[in-house]
Amino acid sequence: MMTGTVIWLHADNLNPHCAALQAAPGAPAVFVWDEELLDEWKISLKRIVFIYECLLELPVSIRRGDVAAEVAAFAQAHSAQRILTMASPSPRHRLICQRIMQQMPKGSRLEVLRDPPFVETNARLDLKRFSRYWSAVKYDALRGKK
Amino acid sequence: MAEMRRDFANREELIAYLREQFPRAAAVCDDVPAEPLGGRRAAEERLRAARLRDYAATRNFLDGAVTRLSPYIRYGVLSLAEVKEYALANTRTRDEVEKFINELGWRDYFQRVYVEIGDDIWEDQEEYKTGFGAHEYAEALPDDIRAGQTGVAFIDDQIKALYQTGYLHNHARMWLAAYVVHWRRVRWQAGAAWFLEHLLDGDPASNNLSWQWVASTFSTKPYYYNLENVLKYTGDRYQGDPAAFGHQAFVGSYETIARRLFPRIDLSFDAEPRGKRR
Repeated sequence: MMTGTVIWLHADNLNPHCAALQAAPGAPAVFVWDEELLDEWKISLKRIVFIYECLLELPVSIRRGDVAAEVAAFAQAHSAQRILTMASPSPRHRLICQRIMQQMPKGSRLEVLRDPPFVETNARLDLKRFSRYWSAVKYDALRGKK
Repeated sequence: MAEMRRDFANREELIAYLREQFPRAAAVCDDVPAEPLGGRRAAEERLRAARLRDYAATRNFLDGAVTRLSPYIRYGVLSLAEVKEYALANTRTRDEVEKFINELGWRDYFQRVYVEIGDDIWEDQEEYKTGFGAHEYAEALPDDIRAGQTGVAFIDDQIKALYQTGYLHNHARMWLAAYVVHWRRVRWQAGAAWFLEHLLDGDPASNNLSWQWVASTFSTKPYYYNLENVLKYTGDRYQGDPAAFGHQAFVGSYETIARRLFPRIDLSFDAEPRGKRR
């Protein structure tokens, strides 16, 4: 029976104190360079070096290829049915999450965790212009500062 | 797939390995700046070195007290919340910290918009308010811009800096973006994709939406500037005859520049339209 947990880290959260690493200390973690995205974005070497240096400070196995396939294979190699990852605003992150689950055995779980937000608000924010957003969150963002 | 290497004797060895592993990235641009270094340790050092109390007054100057935290924030190495908490704890008054936190707010705002619009981050959010239709803008980035050989000194200097360092001051980003979109009439998407190749902090939310803000497809009017504005914020670098620097197209009042750039519309003129915002 597969009961373990693995962590999938991606470039929108390379914080060693992120919620996923906190939630499962010592769990095997993986980062996958997304070949498709590298093709599309054509990022230069300096960007790759910066990201790689961030990765070298994390307890993470570094791979490249099809992200969903690599993450699913990593989980299965560690007999894990629970995958933790950090939230991302990117639509590609949602797509990859779906693809991972398609490749995992039935009963597997993928949990998307979040770090504390910039501002705590329950209000539905008007995002048409920054000024509207800022007037709604400013008080909270500057909490208590006179 | 095999694991990638984690053991390197030094940074040169790491860079050589990555150059070999990612030849297409090296072909885009092979330069790697000596700093910033990636990682949490370097991020924390940079945060402690931030001159937050000087930020508001000097941030628009190219040599002002900007924090250079953006690459760390972009990759979540530092969360916006922890940077905000640090700033609140390490300044005395609201006046000292408000502008800095407001700028963090821009990033939070752009991230939230990205969640809502997804891949439409690459689409015009609104019409251009320049008097021109989207079809009147060139699709591709002109070769002289890509080569950093426009003949406009302050523009070419910033393009070289972008390639060599992966960083541009926010004000320089705005100048460069407005030059591409308004002076050269190129679609913002071409410029945004170009920035993403090089900016260490490049991310589609802040990058694309800022380009759209300059272009006026995500704002009420286009951002533009004049030479006076450039000279004010670049120290003594470009003082002297504008022609010697290729700066003639930027000489004149905001009103003169606007009539030249946007002949079909009538913008209302403030002393320094839009320039104060970010």
